[in-house]
Amino acid sequence: MTSLTTGLKGRAELGVSLLLGAAGVLVFLDANGLVTPYSKSDPVGPKTVPFIVAGMLVVCAVLLAINVLRGGKGEAEGGEDVDLEHPADWKTILPLAGAFILNILLVDWAGWVISGTVLFWGSVLALGSRHYVRDGFISVALSLLTFYGFYLGLGIALPAGLLEGIL
Amino acid sequence: MDVWSSLMDGFATALTPMNFMYAVIGVILGTAVGVLPGLGPAMTVALLLPVTYALEPTSAFIMFAGIYYGGMYGGSTTSILLNTPGESSSVVTAIEGNKMAKAGRAAQALATAAIGSFVAGTIGTALLAVCAPIVVKFAVSLGAPSYFAIMVLALLAVTAVLGSSRLRGFASLGLGLAIGLVGMDSVTGQRRLTFGQPLLADGLDIVVVAVAIFAVGEALWVAAHLRRTPLHAIPVGQPWMGRSDWKRSWKPWLRGTAFGFPFGALPAGGAEIPTFLSYVTEKRLSKHPEEFGKGAIEGVAGPEAANNAAAAGTLTPMLALGLPTNATAAVMLAAFTSYGIQPGPQLFTSQGPLVWALIASLFIGNFLLLIINLPLAPMWAKLLQLPRPYLYAGILFFATLGAYSVNLQAFDLVILLVLGALGFMMRRFGLPVLPLILGVILGPRIEGQLRKTLQLSAGDPAGLWSEPIAVGIYVIIGLILLWPFAYKLIRRNRPKNSPLLPANSGAADYSD
Amino acid sequence: MTIVVGYVPTPEGEAALTQAIAEARRSSTTLLVINSSRGDALVDNRYAQEQEIQSIEDRLATQGIDHVIKQPVRGHDAAAEVLDAAEEHNAELIVIGLRRRTPVGKLIMGSVSQRILLEADCPVLAVKAG
Repeated sequence: MTSLTTGLKGRAELGVSLLLGAAGVLVFLDANGLVTPYSKSDPVGPKTVPFIVAGMLVVCAVLLAINVLRGGKGEAEGGEDVDLEHPADWKTILPLAGAFILNILLVDWAGWVISGTVLFWGSVLALGSRHYVRDGFISVALSLLTFYGFYLGLGIALPAGLLEGIL
Repeated sequence: MDVWSSLMDGFATALTPMNFMYAVIGVILGTAVGVLPGLGPAMTVALLLPVTYALEPTSAFIMFAGIYYGGMYGGSTTSILLNTPGESSSVVTAIEGNKMAKAGRAAQALATAAIGSFVAGTIGTALLAVCAPIVVKFAVSLGAPSYFAIMVLALLAVTAVLGSSRLRGFASLGLGLAIGLVGMDSVTGQRRLTFGQPLLADGLDIVVVAVAIFAVGEALWVAAHLRRTPLHAIPVGQPWMGRSDWKRSWKPWLRGTAFGFPFGALPAGGAEIPTFLSYVTEKRLSKHPEEFGKGAIEGVAGPEAANNAAAAGTLTPMLALGLPTNATAAVMLAAFTSYGIQPGPQLFTSQGPLVWALIASLFIGNFLLLIINLPLAPMWAKLLQLPRPYLYAGILFFATLGAYSVNLQAFDLVILLVLGALGFMMRRFGLPVLPLILGVILGPRIEGQLRKTLQLSAGDPAGLWSEPIAVGIYVIIGLILLWPFAYKLIRRNRPKNSPLLPANSGAADYSD
Repeated sequence: MTIVVGYVPTPEGEAALTQAIAEARRSSTTLLVINSSRGDALVDNRYAQEQEIQSIEDRLATQGIDHVIKQPVRGHDAAAEVLDAAEEHNAELIVIGLRRRTPVGKLIMGSVSQRILLEADCPVLAVKAG
């Protein structure tokens, strides 16, 4: 079990290398599709830099893969509130991402006040708070406050959505 | 241009009631985020970028400057009282500072940190005011080839010198440059990396990228790894210092400043190296070397001063050349772009009043920070008991709000999530985020200079080294890139020495 | 049968622990020390650190008291943790420390002790700091 998980962990970092490689190929293919009009005023053209970047990404991908296969390992970032001794807690992350996605889906249709409430309330619950009612009130208050704050303070009209006419 | 009279004008601007209020808001916010776990000045400035739509640039930058300096003060408070430094630059402060606090000398540790920060910050800002115009005078004489070389140097130096793995640094830089490529090519008008998506034609908004990487990525990362056992904050009264503490502190403050400013001002400076050098120096010079490791006040005074002087130093290349070398400076540079202000040597002439008001506000902010940090330290420490769900949900909420308010497009939120996930992955696998953000910001400008240079030389690559300064810089770049290989050779030919740096300092990484 | 004591590193908590030790000695039962944290903040000064726990451990061991020390961090408040433990171990007594409070302070704060007093199924002994 342990050897399997350590093996998988090693492979997880190969995913980074794969991502870098894919990004490199993508940048290369995209640049390749550009047209370079002959121009005296622009001898470099739009392709040169993308080609350099693509090359850099691919080289990094290969070197990283070699590094990982040889046992190299990226140091996960620490911090004041970070405890690296336990693995990533997906039970927190996935609901957080869920609340985030729900907000994306709702914001244009239902408006910021509703989608923002969903986002904050969902996030607080995902992070382990259990004061459902109090959190609900805080979420609504925060969304309303930012809605009016942005409108009156910054002159940005966030979408009112379903509550159009009420707000 | 007379530095003194420009600076006085700057003070006049910065002390208008409105701007003074933003300075106060900035330092309070900065101290708070410095103390709060999981938040830093770079993230805070990123989250506040939307205010640039409504605020005068001067007010906005005065507030950002307050956050920048305030973050340092707040960060030292946490590292002394908790021994969990949030940023690499306060690692060294934590070594002696926390020992002092445990020995019942928290008040003295906080006092020497705050007063030392004030001294170093003030001297550093004065040096900034003197040096920046000189750098500008030198920089305006540079042509595109030299400017191109300097930008490449800054990018490579930050990537190669900071952080523990150069390879991962370059990987991050590559991703940043790729993100910077997205959008319309400014010369030919062709779309690059937009995949037929019209919303990408204007490129990725730097606000969205900064918020995604610094706020969303960080919040998700911390949320996935929350500490499960609560810590104790060492209780503390009002900070104060006795006579002997003053006597032992003032020289380390000055020496720390002397280390910090030049390192901060270098393209790859950062605060880690000078804080560490200051620590080692104080240990060597101290009359009480036996106290080191048990809570020596010199070991707090010196590094803390070096940290703040480096912060001031960092602003020199940022304001004079448009080159950010740390995360907060990078986000502040993004704010310049967001105002349509072109950063670079011309900034001092085109935006003179703004720049001098910013520098003046740094003096003011430093003074305000001393006032709010000395008597109120116990109150700031209380912030550590804030329930996390609200803290991290709040970060996500304001990140979303900020990114959405740029264009009012839900599509930007999709990008926010994707890049946030990228930020999470980078933290998981040890890819530093600073090279990425620099790549996004500097990439397009470097490409512009490159094209300008070769346009001048009619396509002849020799145009790249047509100026002596450019040649000099390429030599430095070569040295930086080849250094690890040379170092390996030297080490191989010599018997193994015992390592000079303590293993837990985090500074040992630079030997690579 | 067990005696459950809610411990916090404060004078009230110490008083409760001392009293609980006396009770456990008298009836020679197992002493269950509960020191919990909601765990929702980085810093919680009511959550005892390793050395404190170690010193309690030593103190109980030298007095020859059969004991268990638990430090649950599960997002519940202290009252819930103490009540849970009491129920689970079929406690004969709960010992808690009380802070001196004005009626107004009581009104604003809402208290852990009050919940334990009201909801416990067994006798509750409330101690004040010496």
